[in-house]
Amino acid sequence: MGEVQKGLMSLVEELRKVEHLNDNGVRIVLLGLDNAGKTTILTRLALEEASSITPTQGFNIKSVQSHGLKLSVWDIGGQRSIRTHWKRYLGSTDLLIYVVDSADRKRFEETGQELAELVEEDNLVGVPLLVFANKQDLLTAAPAADIAAGLNLHTYRDRTWQIQACSAISGEGIQDGMNWICKNITAKKK
Amino acid sequence: MTPNPFGSFVTESPEDVAPTVGFSKADIKQGRFDITIFDLGGGKQIRGIWKNYYAESYGVVFVIDSSDVDRMEETKETVAEVLRHPRIAGKPVLVLANKQDREGAMAEADIIEYLSLEKLVNEHKCLCQIEPCSAALGYGKKIDTHIRKGLNWLLGVIAKDFEALHERIQRETAEQKAQEEQDKQKIAERVKRLREEREEREREEAE
Ligand SMILES: Nc1nc2c(ncn2[C@@H]2O[C@H](COP(=O)(O)OP(=O)(O)OP(=O)(O)O)[C@@H](O)[C@H]2O)c(=O)[nH]1
Ligand SMILES: Nc1nc2c(ncn2[C@@H]2O[C@H](COP(=O)(O)OP(=O)(O)OP(=O)(O)O)[C@@H](O)[C@H]2O)c(=O)[nH]1
Ligand SMILES: [Mg+2]
Ligand SMILES: [Mg+2]
Repeated sequence: MGEVQKGLMSLVEELRKVEHLNDNGVRIVLLGLDNAGKTTILTRLALEEASSITPTQGFNIKSVQSHGLKLSVWDIGGQRSIRTHWKRYLGSTDLLIYVVDSADRKRFEETGQELAELVEEDNLVGVPLLVFANKQDLLTAAPAADIAAGLNLHTYRDRTWQIQACSAISGEGIQDGMNWICKNITAKKK
Repeated sequence: MTPNPFGSFVTESPEDVAPTVGFSKADIKQGRFDITIFDLGGGKQIRGIWKNYYAESYGVVFVIDSSDVDRMEETKETVAEVLRHPRIAGKPVLVLANKQDREGAMAEADIIEYLSLEKLVNEHKCLCQIEPCSAALGYGKKIDTHIRKGLNWLLGVIAKDFEALHERIQRETAEQKAQEEQDKQKIAERVKRLREEREEREREEAE
């Protein structure tokens, strides 16, 4: 098969997968600044090995089974040029995961600003928010309270939110986050 | 205060609750009242967010693990800090002495003494009631009667003094909102400056 054709086939395959997921699944969107660790977390959630992850130019999507739920998790690139497209991925989102590099204090306010703009979107009204305070394995990682303050989370009164400290590298905290996700989705879907 | 005793009200099972490092709210109806309960994480790491919710609160429910004698000192300091806050002082406080089903749980009277609760509430003019209870005993309709009693007491005193309380809450909430708006503007300016500086740098590097 020629390269072009192969590319086309995998695209069709990808789209079929996407449609399929949209039909039955719970839709979760993973967002956050570039380098926050979204793609690494996605591979963890899907119980895969994280090998040679590069900055995401478009998006990745994986189907994850947990607590009897079928989740389709969308991981979208966080580079500045891509951020303007975030909104296009928000249709009927059931839960938003926002990933923060806990050691990147210089950018707490910037990432908070991006989040603040994001949650104003119609598609995200009242949608539960899980903040993964990632990279807790680094010595300079900030604690949850600092991140809550940096992101101004106390002004979000219209939705349930939770901060989960984690390390996508060691895997610590990821399963706890997953439990919270499933609990809050079932609560909503009931 | 989490699904803890109020799991009872939102009819969830109190089992398998994870620590709250965040915020959730439950809307419940009790007689003629529409009540919103904010459930805030109690861990040391997240306690700092509490103060942001004081302005809009008509009353406080403080939940204590009565069986955790080792942390009663921490409880004492924390309760004192809450009641002392200018946006809480003068508001009614319900203390739930929870986990009474556990062996070694401190009795109501001992907790009052340990926390110097009488002195504290007099000092800060908070009406206060303490109820021993166990959130683990039943949920849904079978909620511990002490919790129901405590909540009824709280609602009663709020209703009695509603106008003055309501006026205060509207004023202080407006103040808080204005402050939040101001902070937001400052952050937006700082972020904007940061972005401009970065773009500048990138342009220079490209040349
Ligand atoms: N120390 C540490 N490094 C991490 C952790 N999670 C991710 N990283 C590293 O951070 C870098 C960025 O991770 P990615 O998963 O590509 O980040 P991303 O958020 O997907 O970035 P974009 O795709 O550009 O938006 C990689 O080098 C990861 O190995 C973590 O928990 N601890
Ligand atoms: N024995 C007993 N256990 C209880 C009782 N109430 C809660 N628990 C247990 O105590 C633990 C903590 O309960 P939570 O409801 O998570 O406590 P919390 O106050 O919300 O804690 P944070 O969310 O960390 O602030 C859980 O394992 C509960 O099942 C009780 O009355 N008796
Ligand atoms: Mg990525
Ligand atoms: Mg809790």
